[in-house]
Amino acid sequence: MMEAARTYLLLFFGAAIVYNILLIRFIGLCPFFGVSKSIETSIGMSVAVLFVMTVATSACWLLWGLVLQPLGVGEFLYIPSFILVIAALVQFEEMFIRKVSPPLYKAMGIYLPLITTNCAVLAVAVESVKPGFLKLNIPYHYSLPEAVVYAIGVACGFAVAIVMFAAIRERIELAPIAKSLRGAPIGFITAGLMSLAFMGFAGLFKL
Amino acid sequence: MDWSIVLKAMAAMAGAALLFGLILAIASRKLAVHVDPKVELVLAELPGSNCGACGYVGCEQAAEEIAADESDVSTCVAGGQEVANRVAHALGKDAVDVGAPKIAVLNCGGGCKVATIRYDYHGVPTCAAARALHGGPLLCQSGCVGFGDCVKSCPFDAMAMGPEGRPEIDIDKCTGCGICVTTCPMGGEGLLALVEEGAPIVVACCSHESAKATRNACPKGCIACKACEKVCESDAIKVVDNLAVVDYEKCTACGKCVERCPTKCIVTTRWFQPGGYPAAEEPVEVEA
Repeated sequence: MMEAARTYLLLFFGAAIVYNILLIRFIGLCPFFGVSKSIETSIGMSVAVLFVMTVATSACWLLWGLVLQPLGVGEFLYIPSFILVIAALVQFEEMFIRKVSPPLYKAMGIYLPLITTNCAVLAVAVESVKPGFLKLNIPYHYSLPEAVVYAIGVACGFAVAIVMFAAIRERIELAPIAKSLRGAPIGFITAGLMSLAFMGFAGLFKL
Repeated sequence: MDWSIVLKAMAAMAGAALLFGLILAIASRKLAVHVDPKVELVLAELPGSNCGACGYVGCEQAAEEIAADESDVSTCVAGGQEVANRVAHALGKDAVDVGAPKIAVLNCGGGCKVATIRYDYHGVPTCAAARALHGGPLLCQSGCVGFGDCVKSCPFDAMAMGPEGRPEIDIDKCTGCGICVTTCPMGGEGLLALVEEGAPIVVACCSHESAKATRNACPKGCIACKACEKVCESDAIKVVDNLAVVDYEKCTACGKCVERCPTKCIVTTRWFQPGGYPAAEEPVEVEA
């Protein structure tokens, strides 16, 4: 029991902070620079990512465990089939949210299509079945609960990084910066410095 | 070579794709949301700049409110008469007269490069921040501090910072939405104001200080000498509370006050033609 709780905790924090998907592994950088102009939009994006990532990872894990693996085609078919699952799922979620909760759709609707092709979502889905991608020292592929906890952890790490980055960018907007560095250039430098800071977490704990 | 694995792979992908396609097809039927087609029609006529001058979050919300009869066809402030006509046409309603279109003007001829500077400001470069520090770096408490909050706020790209450190307004692009007036920390005191399109002259000062104080602070300010009041033949310009105020209904655009003003703080606009300003505006066209 304790052992299981420890695994989940380490999985969560390992995914969220030590192996932060944006700042350590540099996956999913398009929304990181695209929707980090203000804290408000970055929070909207984070919520959408959390939602899609969790659902998509569970669906991909099920497809892998129930169809691909028994047929013996998972080894080479996982990327195309997961892309298929994620694209269809995001479409479905968009329709579903629009019908069930218009306020939620207004808050996160515009971000959902952006996530369809987000590499971070695909990366998490792939890693949940092929643990070799992330060296968290789990020799077997994740169980379903582990995959879900892992996806939530990655999405929380995404949220922490993008909201912090948006807060810094809001400040930078008002700072006296050389004209040639305004906008994207200073954004890249900021992201680099944040990444350096996050590298301090490396080796913080082992699984 | 084992061909069965190829078949299995094809079957797995085709099966999954078919399944998802089927689910999406059913979902698009079952979960379809009824959207009022009128909203689309109205939205197509709105400017789409999401300026928010109407009081709604964006053009889309404004379109919803107009289509649902919650709001008037003339809701769009920036669009003026033309958009109101088109929205009314799209909805099959009667057009309404929204009044003469307006444009924004800057009531300041001095600013950060002309007026006396009280202190060197090195803080956050926005007008709001500069103004919050003891009323701003200018001795004139009404003048434009020139950090361009209004320029950044303009949703129609009609403003730019001029070489004199004051915003310049492109009359062709200005829609009179009034966002700059609300953004400007001195907008409430009349530093930026909306005037009717066609106004031939503008008083480029908004200071209500005494003549002496204004003179000390800025060579371009209105010193309330009343010379314009005396020279005006149509009784259209009055000095009220140490500041000249133009009554555009009476102004004949003769230009005498502009010539007479000792500090040259009455300036002409592009509509200035001596004697050419129609006292009564030609009636605004309203489509039936």
